[in-house]
Order: sequence, then structure tokens, then C-alpha cells
Amino acid sequence: MKSSYILFLIVLLQVSCKRDLDLKPTSVITSNSFFKAETDVTGAVYGMYQLLRVEVANANLYFLGEARSEIMTSSLGGTLGYDKYYQQTLSATNPGPNWQGLYAVINSANLVLKYAPDIAFSSAVTKNNMIAQAYTMRAYMYFTLVRSWGDIPLRTEPTEGYDPQTIQVARSPKAEVFALIKADLDKALSLYATNTFTAGRNTWSKPAANALKADVYLWSGKQLGGGNADFTIALAAIADIPTSDVQLLPNFADVFDYNTKGNKEVIMAVRFQLLENVRSTAPVIGPDNLYANMYIQTTNIPASAPQVTKDLIGVGGGQNIWGPTAAVRSQFTSDDLRRNGTFLEIFATTASGPLYFATLNMKGKGVVSGGTRFFVNDVMLYRYADILLMKAEAKNALGQDPTTEVNLVRQRAYGTNYNSHIFVNGTKVQNDDAILQERLLEFLYEGKRWFDLIRFNKVFELVPLLKNRSAETHLLLFPVGSDVLSLEPKITQNTGWQ
Amino acid sequence: MNKFYKDFLKSNGIIAMVFSFLLFSFTAFGQNAVHGVVKNSQGEFLQGVSVSIKNSSAGTSTDEQGKYTLNAPNLQGRLRFTFTGFKTNEVAIAGRTSVDIMLETDVSKLDEVVVIGYGKQSRELITTSVAKLDTKVLENVPYANATSALQGTIPGLRVQSTSGQPGAAPRVILRGGTSINNPDGATPLYIIDGITRTNMNDISADDIESLQVLKDAAATSIYGSRGSNGVIIVSTKSGKAGRTRISYSYDVTSSNIGKTIEYANAKDYLEQSRLSIVATAKKDPSKLARLTLASATGTGNDLTKNTGYTTMYLTPANQYKLNEGWQSIPDPVDPTRILIFKETNYQDLIYRNAISNNHYLSASGGTEKATFNIGAGYLTSEGIAIATNYRRITLNFNSTLQVTKNLDVTGRLLYSNNKNQAVASLANTFFRVASTPGTTKFQFEDGTMAPGQNFSIGNPYYHFIGPFAPQGDNSLDNLTMAIASHWNILPGLTFDPQISLYKVNGDSYSFQPTSLRNGIGAPSTTRAASSSYSKLTQYEATGVLTYIKSFSRVHNLEAKAGGSYFGRENYSLSASGQGASTDLIPTLNASATPTNVGGSKSNLVIEGLFGRINYDFKAKYLISLNVRYDGSSNLGSENKFGFFPGISAGWNLHQENFWKMFPKDLITLKLRGSYGVNGNISGLTDFQPQGSYDVNNQYAGNAAVVGSIIPNPDLQWEESKTTDVGFDLGLFERRVHVLFDYYDKVTDNLLTTVSLPSSSGYVNTLTNLGSLGSKGMELELNVQALPGSSPLQWNLSFNAAHVKTQILKLPSNGIEYNRVGGVLLYDPNTKGYRYFGGLQEGGRIGDLFNYRQLGVYATDEEAVKAPLDVSVPIDIGNPANGRKKYGGDVNFQDTDGNGTIDSRDQVFMGNIYPTWTGGFSNYLTYKNIGLLARFDFTTGHTIYNYPRVFADGQLQGDALPTQEFLDNSWKKQGDITNTPRYLWQNQQQNTGRSSMYYEKGDFLCLREITLSYSVPADIFRRIKISNLRVNLTGNNLRYFTKFKGLNPEEGSAQDNGHYPIPRNFILGVNIAL
Repeated sequence: MKSSYILFLIVLLQVSCKRDLDLKPTSVITSNSFFKAETDVTGAVYGMYQLLRVEVANANLYFLGEARSEIMTSSLGGTLGYDKYYQQTLSATNPGPNWQGLYAVINSANLVLKYAPDIAFSSAVTKNNMIAQAYTMRAYMYFTLVRSWGDIPLRTEPTEGYDPQTIQVARSPKAEVFALIKADLDKALSLYATNTFTAGRNTWSKPAANALKADVYLWSGKQLGGGNADFTIALAAIADIPTSDVQLLPNFADVFDYNTKGNKEVIMAVRFQLLENVRSTAPVIGPDNLYANMYIQTTNIPASAPQVTKDLIGVGGGQNIWGPTAAVRSQFTSDDLRRNGTFLEIFATTASGPLYFATLNMKGKGVVSGGTRFFVNDVMLYRYADILLMKAEAKNALGQDPTTEVNLVRQRAYGTNYNSHIFVNGTKVQNDDAILQERLLEFLYEGKRWFDLIRFNKVFELVPLLKNRSAETHLLLFPVGSDVLSLEPKITQNTGWQ
Repeated sequence: MNKFYKDFLKSNGIIAMVFSFLLFSFTAFGQNAVHGVVKNSQGEFLQGVSVSIKNSSAGTSTDEQGKYTLNAPNLQGRLRFTFTGFKTNEVAIAGRTSVDIMLETDVSKLDEVVVIGYGKQSRELITTSVAKLDTKVLENVPYANATSALQGTIPGLRVQSTSGQPGAAPRVILRGGTSINNPDGATPLYIIDGITRTNMNDISADDIESLQVLKDAAATSIYGSRGSNGVIIVSTKSGKAGRTRISYSYDVTSSNIGKTIEYANAKDYLEQSRLSIVATAKKDPSKLARLTLASATGTGNDLTKNTGYTTMYLTPANQYKLNEGWQSIPDPVDPTRILIFKETNYQDLIYRNAISNNHYLSASGGTEKATFNIGAGYLTSEGIAIATNYRRITLNFNSTLQVTKNLDVTGRLLYSNNKNQAVASLANTFFRVASTPGTTKFQFEDGTMAPGQNFSIGNPYYHFIGPFAPQGDNSLDNLTMAIASHWNILPGLTFDPQISLYKVNGDSYSFQPTSLRNGIGAPSTTRAASSSYSKLTQYEATGVLTYIKSFSRVHNLEAKAGGSYFGRENYSLSASGQGASTDLIPTLNASATPTNVGGSKSNLVIEGLFGRINYDFKAKYLISLNVRYDGSSNLGSENKFGFFPGISAGWNLHQENFWKMFPKDLITLKLRGSYGVNGNISGLTDFQPQGSYDVNNQYAGNAAVVGSIIPNPDLQWEESKTTDVGFDLGLFERRVHVLFDYYDKVTDNLLTTVSLPSSSGYVNTLTNLGSLGSKGMELELNVQALPGSSPLQWNLSFNAAHVKTQILKLPSNGIEYNRVGGVLLYDPNTKGYRYFGGLQEGGRIGDLFNYRQLGVYATDEEAVKAPLDVSVPIDIGNPANGRKKYGGDVNFQDTDGNGTIDSRDQVFMGNIYPTWTGGFSNYLTYKNIGLLARFDFTTGHTIYNYPRVFADGQLQGDALPTQEFLDNSWKKQGDITNTPRYLWQNQQQNTGRSSMYYEKGDFLCLREITLSYSVPADIFRRIKISNLRVNLTGNNLRYFTKFKGLNPEEGSAQDNGHYPIPRNFILGVNIAL
């Protein structure tokens, strides 16, 4: 009798509680409530860029794409541990970037690719554009990953739950990764409606997807034995880009200036701007990007530096953690207009003559607001000069004459002194050397040098600390960090990095 | 007669008549009064002693002069005197009209009344593990946060004072907690006057009547889903019938810092820093330029406002500074030149001698029909760090009114308001700013303040106080209102409903005026301003039916059944802006540009049914059964409900006949055991199972939505099963009293943040994962060393607890020990490599690993033989040297002996969690004088002393190393020392990863010494003062520890800066009318 009464109470509670306990969230978007409408997809697509920007801001893309080349070295401030890149001391226990953040971008693309197709849009063009951006983003991230680590885990479905048995994924061979990248790009290109920058030059677009496609096929042509077939595809991808409203800006420095963001030279750049925190959740690191570590704090500016230098520096900010080596700086001739647009050398005046102090990055010097310098220049992924030099590279690989493209770049670079720097077609090897050299001068700080050196097979020739080590091919890849290995038992270390 | 009573009569006429009859029948007896005075062994009058006639319902209590008067039929029967803290005394009236009596003090806890879940019980009959706070610890120290009083006083409760910020709550963890990934977040549930809370902040210690801790699962299972981390039950003071008693107390506290970090003096620092730059530049020539910078150690400074430091070469133009207290040394790098500098100790500027005041006024009293209590407190407390303070107003009002003979109603109001200013960043204040180089300019030549390097490592007088410091404050209102009732429905059957509203409103604002926040250069004119508001509203309703019945005087039964509803809403609003045109207005209205807005609303509902049956046979065999059935809105749709039972039993051996072989009261012994299940969902956010997307992001001006929490609709209760066995032992007429418990707790379905594979794109997710076991024992000992009749009294108490946790089970994932995470290390046992740490079966949480320092190479020749150390950077100046080591570099242990030092050579450094905690106290009283000394201790935890790493390794700019480091560091070939050479910013990785910075946190703290004096009542009788007590107290007087940092109480992976615990000297006065 008594127990049946208790049972009755429990049943009553179950019934009445079910209603009380069934609360709907007011201020959070949950998985139950998200991905229902067009605006959800738009938000999620910008979410991909937000995550991409985190990776750019914390320099992960730079660490992978440039930090191990011959460009950078230690400077006035501490090292922040960056020395492991330019000193070539990476190891499994002291690895480069963790790939978690890169896969977070992929996961966000996978979410869009899973849900967007089933959501009704007011316009099919808009819907296709969103899906195309997600495909392009996934292709770009996998392209970065595969160039950095070789075989990598392929995830084409979003992570939406935790299951100890299935959450681990083993590596897929490089060829499979490239097959996915190429397929993604083809899908993307078929979905973009117009060859324009529909949503500005800080999101993926058809011209940007074509730029990425050219980059991918140049790599597979040279590094995966794709050969002429791939170079031809690269060239074809580039063909459409010039009609999409792009040009070389007359003044090199304008390409990167805070006030000329999204200019016509830009094909895809990651947007940074004042009042837009890179991370809105803790830790808030403000709007600064990686270039904050390539400037100088006021107290470190030597009092005896010439006034003209001080004027160029303006308000100090950031830290002088690293900068280009003397060997690289000296390759910029004094009549190269890109020199002042790229870096600023500081010399102190001493009794025994000028004393070298440090070098500042002028491409990323940011903007001063309220007395504080913020490093909020957009970070380039692709710009028109890159297209021209990729085209030159593809043409040369196919035995065609790259003169036009190289000279277009040099005309802008040398201005009135162009006549003493005219490129003349030479042998295939000579042309490649010239193109690679032009890329160094053009793209310093833009995160491309290390991948360029690999693509041109010049790592063991041009990186001083790696000279005569061509047998150690594992050096072309990054080690998988033990922090990753401890969480991913199915992942094996890259051979040579054990 | 009110309507209610009329209605009640109609429906319950018979019962009411019975009651009325009983009531009237008492008055029919003969009226004979007995009166008298009650005193203690010191001859002081005792107020509030309950006086009753045994086996009758007549009773009263003594007034402020110890007097009582009671009607005793025919002057027969036995008078019974009971009073908390004193032995109960019984005496036969035997026809007398005047009976005076003395009560002996009693430290025995065997017959104290203990508040348990939804009720009270005598210690004699309790079968679970419940600790009661000796409220003596609340008497002398005016705690800005009363939780601190629990430190070292409750066995099994680990209370760590992690901050000396006035008002800050210490960390409270019961029995090691139940969490795998956040053991320090496993806070107990607080029940304050029946109202559920997550803390007891802002309760005045003066308002606390009693505090008990329910420890085992059988005791806490009646709180079901939230009981597994223990339950702390607090009752605030309430009124008693009798003359109105008014009392006032006042304490003044002078606080200072007990111990600071010993940073290097400016001369040694400057001299050795310049040499360190030269040494560093041998590997990295780019660093040589630092010698001429306008930095703390560079010579680029001058007397203008364009440089921030005083270090400069002596010139005719600045020579006069030597007459103004500046010092000079030959430049160790170029001895032909003289360096001058002015020394300032920046750490000293952070601290001050702080004064705190605490006023508390109370009035209480009432009649048989109505009682009331009012307590009002006002506390101001300065922090020992500049620009920190706390001010609190508290009000406690409650009153009980007897509406009818069998129904009374209680109303309660508990309010507090606090305003405080706290440090913005512990790291900045306590080890970054503190390590500001002594050569930094304190003032410019024109007398204005200089900023130092910047706000994070600069002049505290510039950045913390004065016109350039951030402005603003925080304010918090805490309001509790409750209406409760006690209704005697039938003899033995009562109903206790309570409804309550608990509201916490917080608001704050902050503003950064124009300042040289980023150091010398252009002032920062952003003028960032922000404001925020938060509101917590909690509705709670409980109803408890209780039935008490004795059968044949041997079977005693108490049965309870009840239900509870708990609803909580959090609401918040925040906004920030910048670009005000002036520094005059610190609030948002002056901002020209809004920069961010935020706001959220979130709800939680928990509903439960519970019940308990207590049964004893002749107080000899005891059994108790607790159950609760809970449902919660923040669980997955399939797992909303949980069932939590608890059972416990006890055996009072001294009630047995065979116990009569011992002399009476020589030994009393109760054996008890319990088993219970309870839950925990404190780690869940309100809508966690449904996953969530972050919405507060923008990309290029567009709202960006990013997935942040993976949905997991299967999330369920964490479930703890605890077995507890123990005994209560009394010796020598209960003058020695021992409570002992051993427990074994297994928590399954742990709500755990599990690390995900990096390539999943997420860092981690919350899931129910595995089992954690903790085993431990607790001992509490109280001794009344001298007989109760002795004028000198000596009470000793001691408590200690040990806990050991272990991960028992993890979900099978195909990896050895089902490990998640961890670090790959050499295992000397197997001579192979395996993963240590992380989460793995058989392992524990909180293990630390790093490199063991074997010594420091005395010479370059010796260092050449060092194993290849992959963390040492390659020589930039001469790459052929590779990762060569030199004299003065650390010799790290090559654990696997493979000739290379890499991360696999790391070894165990210690564990961050304490294993032993406890305390002991001595309380001596002689007549009116009392002396209390109280200690507590914590051992077993290891602390990574990051502030010292930061200093010695110069992790920021030119931070000051410790003097100890400079004094002992390797300086020249052949030096034999354990301290490595001094290099600018630790380029050789000599410090931060060394075992030298892992220090044992074991400590013994002299927590309190109090000397008190009660002025004899006779002296003040004429001016109607019944009691005057004065006390002189020292609090947090000394930590006996080898830990070199500011606070040995930390128990997390690394010391990230702590507000030091102040040393307090207190003078207190207490007057009662």
C-alpha cells in the first residue's frame, strides 16, 4: 500500500517534472536549434573564417609556410620558442604547430557541407556560393596539412559526438588527400556562379579557388609526378583570374596598407580589423595578428637612431621577436621599391659608425588607434602578383616563355629603374631560379617561402642550416608532436622524426 | 481567532479539542514556583540555560543574570538543566523553592545536537559521518569570508586559502572531491537556513549559530543529485524567549604581509645582468645591442621623460644625481666607465599595512508566542596589496510567531551588500610588477610618476593607484527571504514547509584613463570603459512531513517524506566602449564608440522527492534509511532522473548490559557503518547536453558562428557510491572523545572533460567517463584534560585526514590502460618507453613531470661531455658549435641513458594534490582568562614555483631574478654550485624546466593565537552590562614551510601568482546588555 503510494508520487513527479524540466535555452544556440535556416549557414560560413583567422593570428600558418626557410632569425626580444623553426631544431618532443586548430577549420567546413544542402535558401546562387566556400576552405586546409605532414588523417564528416571506438582516424596516403583536395576544388568551382568577388576579397571566391587550384596542381605536378598534365591544369585555372577585376597596384606598399584593405590586387586575404577580436572567448587576444612580433616596443628603439627612422617607426608596439636575416635583406637592391614596403632596418648611431639593431616588418605594421599600435593588416593568402609568378612557373615548366609575367612583376617593383632589371628568357633552370628569387623578394613575410623552396627542390641548397643534408628527406615534413601522438594512437610518426 | 484557525477547527475539530484540553489541563495543577541562579565553574552567570522538569512539558530558560523561575507542581520532580557546551545537570527539587546550581563545561560531543539533512539528530544516535564546527573559531577572527574558519577544523575538508584578497572564498574540497578533470572545482553544496547555495560568501561569521558538514553518502543522499561533494549546513542565529538581549562587538585588525619574495638588489642585478647579456651574445650576437638600449640594464637612458630607466653612464651633466641618492658602479662590461642608477624596491610598493574594522550589533529575544533576532554588521577591510579592499554590510532578521497552538510561522531575511576592489591580474601584481627591475624610474625629473616597462611589469604607484590607474569597483547584493512554518498536525506528525527567494545582484564598472599603459612613448588614449550587471534569482520550495513515534518506549521511529522544487535563473548584461573625450567620467555614458555588448539568460530546474526513516532500539541499535529521487533540466533527455539511496546503521555498545563490566561512563563506544549513492552535476552548464555554438564572434563585420561544445544527449549523473565505517569513542566520563571514519568512495560516470584527438577539430568534450576511487580516513580527537570542576580548563583537539585517489576504470579505447593523453617517458622498470600521466587506469590525477637537475657543470671542459640536449638552441653566432653546453649550464638527467636529453627523459616531480590535512588546537582558560592556539597543516602537494622561474629565467624583458639566484649562480670556471649561470632570458633553458623549481608545499600554519579576558559580571552589574569580553588575536601568524613562494597552500599545476595571505593582529571587544 505504502510503496504503491510512493510509486504513484514518482509517476506524478515524472509527469509533472518532464514539463518543468524541459527547458528551452534563451541565450545559447544548441545543436538542436542550429542549422535550420539560411542565416545559420551564413553564420557558420563566417565561423570558418573566424577559425582560419585564429590560425593565422597565432602564426601557425606562418610557422608551416615560412618559418623554417632561410628568411627569419632571432632578434632583439626573447625567442618565444620560435628559434626551433629557424634553427631547425624541431623534434617530436619540441614540434611545430599542433594541427588541432587547422582541423577545427576543416570541421567547421564539414558542418556546412553536411547541413547546408538540406536547408532552403531564398536563392540557389547564394546557397551554392556558401557550399562552394566550404569546399574551397576544406581544400585549402588539407593542402596546407598535406604539404606540412605528408600522409594525414582525412575527415570529411564533422565531429558531432564522442565515441571512443570510432573517434580515432588513421593517416591517409598523400595521393588520397590530393584526390580529395582536387575533387573539392572542382565541386567548388562548379558551384560559384560568377567569376567575381561576391562577398569581398576576404572570403573564398571563384578567382581565389582558381588561384588555390593552380597552387595545388603546381605542387602535384612537381612533387607528386603529375608533370605536364598538372601544369596545364594549373595554367588553365589561372586563365580566368585576370577577368575577375584584379590588377597589380602601382605602389607596392598600398597592397598591404590598413587603409586599402581589399584592394584590387588581393584575391584572398584573411581579414583583421580594429575592435574585431581574433578570439571572442577567453583568452581574448585582441585584434592583433602574427606581425605583432615583428615590430618593436618603444623602449627598444635606440635613442640615437636617425630621426627619419624614428618617423617611419612612429608609435612603437608589439615585440621584436624575430626578423629577416642579413643574407636575405641584402638581396633586396636599393632600387627595389619593395624593400621599403617590406621592412625597415634600424641602426643606432655610435662613435664607431652605425650599429645594426633590428628589422621591422612594414607589410604588417598595423595602424595606431588611441595611442596604441594594433597589428591589423590583412594577411595575404593569394594576390595577383602571386598569380603572375605561378603562371610564369607553370609556363616555364611546360617549356613556354615566362618573360611577360615576370616582367609585369618587376616593372612595378623597380619603377623607373625597371630597365636595369628586365627579365630575359633563359634555360628552364635559369628561369626557375629567377622566378624563385622573384618570389622571395615579392612575398617575404607572406608565409610562402618554405613551401616554395620545397616545390622548387631548393631546401637543401638555400637553407644554410640544412645544406648537405639532402639525404634527410624527413626534414621536408614536420614531425607529429608527441602531444598529438598521445591523443591519437592511430597516428604514426613521420619516418625520420622518431 | 483568525480565519485559518476557524477553518482548522471546522475540519480538525476533534484534534483541536484534544489539544485545547491538554493545554488547559496543565493550568489546573497546583502552582508552586521554584527559582534559582545558574553559574559556570568560573562563577559567571549563564544566560539561556534550559531549565525543565523531567518528564513534564514545563520549561523555561535563564535570564542574563542566570536567574530562572519555574512552576513545579507540589515542588516535586527533578530539575534538568541543559546548555550547549556544558554538561547536563539534574537535581531533585525535593520541596525546595530555591535551587542554585553550577554547570560544568563539557567538550564532549557525544550528546551534542547535530543538524542533518532536513532535520536534527543527537550525536548519540547518528549513524553517518557528520562533523560539526566548534564555533569557538568564529569568535575572535573577524573573517571577511566565514568559509576560512573551516580551515583545519573539520577533518576531511581540505580548505585552501588561495587568496588574501579580503572577502575571497578559500577552496573547499571534501574527501578529495569526485572529479577527474577538475578536482579543485568539486565544491560542496551549501544549505544556509534550508536554502541551497553554491557558497557561503558574504555571510557574517557573527550571524552563524552552527555549521556542520555531512560527509558520507548515506548522510548526503537525501540531497541526491548534488550531494556527492559533501553538504555544508549552516544555521544562522535566531531568537529565544526571554528578556531582549543586546550585544555589540567590535574588532580592529592590522594586517601586513608575512613574507615577500627576495628579489635581487639593483646593484647586483645591474652588474650581473650586463655580464649576462655578454654571455648570451656569445651564442646570439643580436643580443649585444641590449647593452645600449634604453632598458633596465642598457645605457641608452637619460634624464628626460623619453626613457623609463635610471641606468646611464656617469657624465658631468648627470653627476649631481649622486648627491640625490643615486648609486654608481663601474660598468662590468667596460670598467673604464661608470654606471649610475637609482634603486627602488617595487615589490615593497605593492604592499601596505592594512586596517580593517568590524562592527556587529545584535538584538534578540521574545516571548513564548513570538521570538526575534536582528543582527547588523558592518565590515571594512583593506587588502595588504594597494588598491584592494572590501566593505560589507550585513543584516540578518528573523522572527517566529506562534499563530496557533500547533502552528508557528517563521520569516527570515538575510541581506548583504559588498563593494570591493580586487587585483585585475594576480600574475601582473604579484610576480610581474613585483619583479620590476630596481633601476626603473619611479618618478621623472619633474616629479611626475614614471610608468616602468608597461602596466604588466611597471611602477605599481603609476598603474594601480593615482590618476593613471584603472578606476571602477564591484558591488554585490545578496538577498535571502524565506517563509517557513512548523505545523503539529497530530501528536508526532509535523509538517515543515519553506518557500524562499535567493537573489544575487552584481554590478561593476571599470575605466582606463589616459596613461602610459604601454610604457614610455605615446600615451594610450583609448579610454576603455565597461560595465556589467548580473542577476541570479533562485526560487526554492520544500515541504517535509515528519512522524515521530516511540513504541513501548524501546522502538523509536522517525520517518520523513518531502519534496523540493529548485529553480534558478541567471541573467547578465555587459557593455564596453571607448573613445571618451575626457578622463573625468569613468562610466560608459562618456564613451564615443561602443565596442562590445553581451547578455545572456539561462535557467535550471531541479525537482526532487526524498524520504528518511530513522529507527533505534533503546538507543542501542540504530538504523537510518535515506532516499531521494531527483530530476534535473540540464541533463540529456534520456537521463533526466536519478535515484539516490543511502543506508546506515550503528551500535551503541555502551547501552548493552554486558558493558556494565566497565565502570559507568569510563568507556562509551558506538560502531557505525554506512553505504550510500549520490550524484553530482555541478560540472554541467545549463544546456550542455544539447551542444552549443559560440555566437560572439565577428569576421569582417559579419556575425560568425563557431561550434564550441559537441552535443551529448546521453550525459547523465555522476554517481558516487561511498562505504563508510567508523566509531565514536568516549573515555573517562567522556572527557576524551574520538571520532574515526574510514571510507571508500567510487564515483562512476564521471563528468569528465576528455581530450579529443587533435584531428577531430575539438580540443575536448564533456562526457561521462570512467570511475574514480578515493579512499581515506579521518580522525577527530577532543580532550578535556582537567575535570570540569577545575578552575583551570585545558581543552585539546586534533584532527587529521588522509585521502588517496586513483582512476579505476576508463572506457575501452584499445590503448593500454585505456589511456587518454599523457606524456611519453622512459620507464626504468621496464627499460622501455610508456605514457605516464594523462588519464589512465591505475593512475591518478595531478602528477607533474619535468627534467631532473643533477647539478651544474663547473667548467666548459666538463660541459663538453654533456649529453646532447635538444632543447638547447643551436649557436646562432657559430652554428658549428651546435647545441654545445658550457660551464654553468645545468646537467640534466639522461634518464634513458641514450646520450640525448629530450622530453622522454622527464621524471616524476610530484603531485599537485595534498594527501594529509588537519589541524590542532589548545584552549586554556583560567577563571576569566582564555588562551587559544590553533594550528593547521597540509602535506603531500608539490608546487611548480612559476614566479621564481619567471624571475630567475627572466621570462619577461629584464625582470629581476631572486637575490638567491644571483648570489649562488655559477660565475666562473670551476665554480661548484647548484644554481646555473645567469643568462639574459634564460637562453640555455637552464631554469624553467628544472626540478629545482618543483617545491614541496607541505606546511604547518600557526593560524590563530588568542588571549581573551572576560570582565567579571559583578563589576558591571550596576550599569546593566552582563558581559564584557576583550580579545587580542594573531591570525595567519606563520607558515612553517620550505616552499619559497608567497603561499604554500596552492594545489594546482603551477603557482600563477597569489594574493599573499595577510598576517593579522586583532583587538576585539564584545559587550552584552
